[in-house]
Amino acid sequence: MFWHNFKYSLKTLFKNKPLIFWTFAFPLIMATLFNMAFSNIENQEKMDIIDIAIINNSEWNDNEIYKNSFDVLSSDDNEERIFNIDYVNAQKASELLEAGSIAGYIELIDEEPVLTFNTNGLDQTIIKLVTEEIRQTESVIKNLSEEEIQKEITSGNYNIDYESIHNKVVELTKEDNVRLKDISNSNLSYTMIEFYTLIAMTCLYGGILSMTAINESLPNMSNKGKRISISPTKKRTIIFSSLFASFIVQLVGLSLLFIYTIFALKINYGNNIGFIILLSIMGSLAGLSLGTFIGSIFKANENTKTGILIATTMFGCFLSGMMGITMKYIVDKNIPIINKLNPASMITDGFYSLYYYGDNLDRYWFNIISLLIFSAILIIISYIFLRRQKYDSI
Amino acid sequence: MIVFKTFLKVLRKNLPIVILYTTILLVFGISNMSTSENNMNFVASKPNIYIVNNDKSDGITKNLIDYISNNTNVINIENNEEKINDALFYRDVNYVIYIPKNYNNDFMAGKNPEIKIKSLNDYGANLTEMLLERYIQVAGIYRKSIIDENELILKINDTLKNDVKVNITSKLDTNSLDKASYYYSFASYSILACLILVICLILSSFNEEKIRKRTIISSTNYKKHNRILLLANFCYAFILWSLYVIVSFILVGKIMFSSYGLLYMLNSFIFTICATTIALLVGSLITNKGAINGIVNVIALGSSFLCGAFVPMELLPDSILKIAHILPTYYFIKTNEILKTLEIVEFNSLKPIFLNMLIIICFSIIFIILSNIVSKKKRKIA
Repeated sequence: MFWHNFKYSLKTLFKNKPLIFWTFAFPLIMATLFNMAFSNIENQEKMDIIDIAIINNSEWNDNEIYKNSFDVLSSDDNEERIFNIDYVNAQKASELLEAGSIAGYIELIDEEPVLTFNTNGLDQTIIKLVTEEIRQTESVIKNLSEEEIQKEITSGNYNIDYESIHNKVVELTKEDNVRLKDISNSNLSYTMIEFYTLIAMTCLYGGILSMTAINESLPNMSNKGKRISISPTKKRTIIFSSLFASFIVQLVGLSLLFIYTIFALKINYGNNIGFIILLSIMGSLAGLSLGTFIGSIFKANENTKTGILIATTMFGCFLSGMMGITMKYIVDKNIPIINKLNPASMITDGFYSLYYYGDNLDRYWFNIISLLIFSAILIIISYIFLRRQKYDSI
Repeated sequence: MIVFKTFLKVLRKNLPIVILYTTILLVFGISNMSTSENNMNFVASKPNIYIVNNDKSDGITKNLIDYISNNTNVINIENNEEKINDALFYRDVNYVIYIPKNYNNDFMAGKNPEIKIKSLNDYGANLTEMLLERYIQVAGIYRKSIIDENELILKINDTLKNDVKVNITSKLDTNSLDKASYYYSFASYSILACLILVICLILSSFNEEKIRKRTIISSTNYKKHNRILLLANFCYAFILWSLYVIVSFILVGKIMFSSYGLLYMLNSFIFTICATTIALLVGSLITNKGAINGIVNVIALGSSFLCGAFVPMELLPDSILKIAHILPTYYFIKTNEILKTLEIVEFNSLKPIFLNMLIIICFSIIFIILSNIVSKKKRKIA
């Protein structure tokens, strides 16, 4: 009987077109859109070369420090080139600024640089910082040279070689005193999380499948349910074979998503593909149990049940960062208990810990176990609700 | 009037959908406009950082921390490696600085101690790194000739306070304009989804075979019937548009009362008309009620993703933007982007905006013609 019901559940599920659209095609469409829209974001976060203008007057050309520094910073040979410089007169510069083709311009007035920007912004902040750095280096050189000269004078040497002092001080400023070591994790890409929430959504959407399967066998939902219920078969057998069928359909959907994202969209899931598959299977189980739970404890028509399921799933996905990753972080930071109970978060957090923490699997296993407990509790409650149900009238 | 009444009746049934998409708009509108760390908001030029100090807080260490914190926003998080890593990943902080034990003494002894950092490698992180490097560099140079710690700190601060004078020419309230553009671009999704979904559902109720047969044999002229239906649809669209405009006044504020606000409203009004014509076309094409939900989401999500309603246009790859040219949403969002940086409101600077609006109107006309052709073909029932 188990396999008989299994076979027909499988058939009815696969032939339900809207259902197949939402569980199979919709995630694929979303994956395609994500891939198109996010493919460029990561590159944009890095620094671009900034277009600026410099007022080309005699004061600029006479000032060696500024002139040389900006020459180096805008030189084509310099790998760490920051600026692309236009040397123009004052009028042209303000025209360029208004047209938006430069981020700002620099003018030397009384040996002090003055910056003119249209608005505040990051490019502008960088220009300001770089100019400040040059100005401060200039002041360091001045201070040190004065000190050196003072030393020479106090030691009684009045025959001062200014050239060599200047060179010595400049050499001193060129020495690199900075030792920084970057220990950040290399996996900082944002877009992967979007795909993870998409997998989480697909897993939880599977709940519609199990809910449909449950509805089919409930006497108060359909005529077929009535017939199934009066048949001399254990409820357990019916329920579990229907659930098993919907689980299989869901796994087919998930594997389609994985195949599509890996081979067509070339998404790199990293070395942990085995763990990722395990997590998505657990996630599907959670989705399945959520669908079963809502299908069995609510006594309402099919549309209302679907509404409740979709609303719950979407709200869970929203909290787990589907529509903006900051949301998950805000919840994690302020009310962590919510995401500890939210299956969507368990799935995305599991993926996140795999991706970001790599070898340290504690957080991953915590999420897997949470998903298992979540599914077990919901299935047990549904089972208690469904068994020995009697109807006085339908 | 009977047609109109029926329209309202069906609309009332579908009110939850309108409420759902409006709530989505509001939630995202508010949450994205109020957080400073989001991508589109380049105005916040102070990077967010976190400092882990393993040294005693005095001398050079304290001075370094003071200098960095004066020029950045130090974010308040728990001092716990996992929390710090999470904060970095979710872009809550751009840069983390770990000051090692005994930094102060080692530095004064000339050991040039190493500082560990964690970096997102984005703008904010690079800015912080520049600040940090500069401090260490200046301090390192002076340390070679100054032995006394207090004198050294004085000298460093004296040098580092040499800042540069900055003039800002624009009088634009870029922050509000950013908000308004973001709101209206995002609204394109809600407008499209709400209009197409509801209008399709209503039209499909009118197009049910039994009801259509009854309408056809009734004494009402079918032209009149269609006209009232069209009018009712545009009424609904107008109400929806007004709702979103009112919300924008609340969320964005003062700038909406200026000529900019007027342009945003005009632009979104024309887009709403276009969305209504799209809805009519889709409604005349689809007969299966079950399919409506899917198709609407594909159209609304697809055009919003491709045209930059969710991910800002400047971050989209060029190839995607080229494809987006065939969608009316592109021209709508493009106008919002232009408005964001528009310096002077006069006929010449507004030309590209009017051109975009004209293109959207052309799209609407094409959609109307197409839906007329389709519905004419479908009029006969066997």
